[in-house]
Amino acid sequence: MENIYKILIVFSLPAAIVLSLFIGPYPIPPAKVLQILFNALTLNPQLGSAAARIVLYYRLPRVLAAALIGIALSISGASLQCMMRNPLVSPYILGITSGAALGAAIALAFLPLFIPVELVAMITAIVAYLIVVAIAWGWGRGSIISLVLSGVVVNALFSAGLSLAEYFAPTPDKVAAIVFWLMGDVGQAGQWPDIIRMTLIIIPCSIVLVMARWRLNILSLGDDEARSLGANPVLERLFFASVAALITASAVSYAGIIGWVGLLVPHIVRLMVGSDSRQVITYSFFLGGTYLVLADDLSRAMTSQIIPLGILTTIMGAPILIILLRRAGKAWR
Amino acid sequence: MEVNPIIEVEGLSFSYNGGEKVLDNVSFELHKGEILGVLGPNGAGKTTLLKILLGILRGTGTVKVLGTDISSIPPKRLAKIIGYVPQEHHIVFPYKVIDYVLMGRAPHHGMFSLPSRKDYDKAYRVLDDLGLGSLADKAITEISGGQFQLVLIARTLVQEARILLMDEPVSHLDISNAVKTMSLIRKLVEEERILGAMVTLHDPLMASLYCDKILLLNKGRVETYGSPREALNPERLSQVYGVDFDIIKYNNRYILVPII
Repeated sequence: MENIYKILIVFSLPAAIVLSLFIGPYPIPPAKVLQILFNALTLNPQLGSAAARIVLYYRLPRVLAAALIGIALSISGASLQCMMRNPLVSPYILGITSGAALGAAIALAFLPLFIPVELVAMITAIVAYLIVVAIAWGWGRGSIISLVLSGVVVNALFSAGLSLAEYFAPTPDKVAAIVFWLMGDVGQAGQWPDIIRMTLIIIPCSIVLVMARWRLNILSLGDDEARSLGANPVLERLFFASVAALITASAVSYAGIIGWVGLLVPHIVRLMVGSDSRQVITYSFFLGGTYLVLADDLSRAMTSQIIPLGILTTIMGAPILIILLRRAGKAWR
Repeated sequence: MEVNPIIEVEGLSFSYNGGEKVLDNVSFELHKGEILGVLGPNGAGKTTLLKILLGILRGTGTVKVLGTDISSIPPKRLAKIIGYVPQEHHIVFPYKVIDYVLMGRAPHHGMFSLPSRKDYDKAYRVLDDLGLGSLADKAITEISGGQFQLVLIARTLVQEARILLMDEPVSHLDISNAVKTMSLIRKLVEEERILGAMVTLHDPLMASLYCDKILLLNKGRVETYGSPREALNPERLSQVYGVDFDIIKYNNRYILVPII
């Protein structure tokens, strides 16, 4: 059964990506979509037709952005859960989200338009993470609890900063822009240069985590045991957490705060193929992509207006997790 | 190659952040073929001593493992010498028993490598050997405390550790599982599958039944060190624990029982 799930999960990602290209307000027959894709792959994109432009410049980048962000949040969530020994950890505990949110709010409310929001968000996200690490290192020698607690503190601090930015935003439409950004939407990242920049960070970093998937098992045993198995838990955790933080910062700064993916997908994977990190990390990569692509399809297809993805992932995620836990939660009780 | 004693501790002291001494001038040796029982009330420094021998903490004084100073042994090499059986603890993720035991191969791998077919074979062989083969695919959270203790020992064997350090392996087990666990350690030492073991214990009875040497700690100091006959005398024990003990002879071993 586990092997069937594994095959399904791996193939779900390319399948979801291709099928999602068929969806959109402008009707394009699936055969035509495939033809356009084929032409593009053979480097003969024939951009003359509106259909080709819609598929290649609107739908494909948007779907790829959703896949990348889903991959990013899921794999960083999965690896952080292992190395922090806590199944309730999400990629957002390390201060990255609130850091990105504050940066985005400042850029949207106060900075001139030519400064890219995602750049400011990325910088503040990384600054927030570095503060978390500095506090955890200075105060708790990099222990798990010190990382989590300083994450909580920095999150609170940056959230207060975010409220200040909203409060002092010069006009109401700037406040609206901040609120909309915070809801999370892959459309903000749906252009080719964004896709390429995200890919360059997310994919190599994800490969590092996938390669270290067995090591994350060892770290999940706790520091004393990991040490007795020859690891250097504090340094290794810091390294892998930084990789996960970079992935998360990259996704969040482009797409805003998309909740639940990084918490939920690793759990779905555990319930389907088992808890060993070797499985959880690898299959979170694929299932995370699929999950966000499908969620984004819903957000585009359900109504004429696009519902922010961050809201949908949460609405979709909660019942899925409850159903799965009811069915297979035996081992967790 | 044969080094004796396999663990040599001399004048070891330790304190957390310059506070009160948790260990004060501790000296003892673990010889080949021996089980050393470490006894003492809660807070006597037993766990701290184990952490120093695992290279997690560093004290002042001499600590030698297989003749080499522990500070000059890199963690990965130390992990191939010393296997650690932690106290009962909370397992976060319900790993399968086989995957859990397989993690013992970690010191033989780098950060980015995966266990091989050979590693799996070794893990399965050890599980079968200890009569745990039928548990291999069970979740680690589903097995009993006694079985878990044996699984932990299996992991150190998969690790190919030469010396076992065990932190209160039997204090939460019923008597049958406690006997099973200690007898397994005895057997591993006698069959020379491990060079020796150091076990922290709460029960003087278990200590007198299974240990070749006793290290009795009290407030970080060595109260006595020697054979069970020498070290476990009623006066010393009542001084340390504040309970009176009687001594009885059983099968050529001297057993201590508390007087109630």
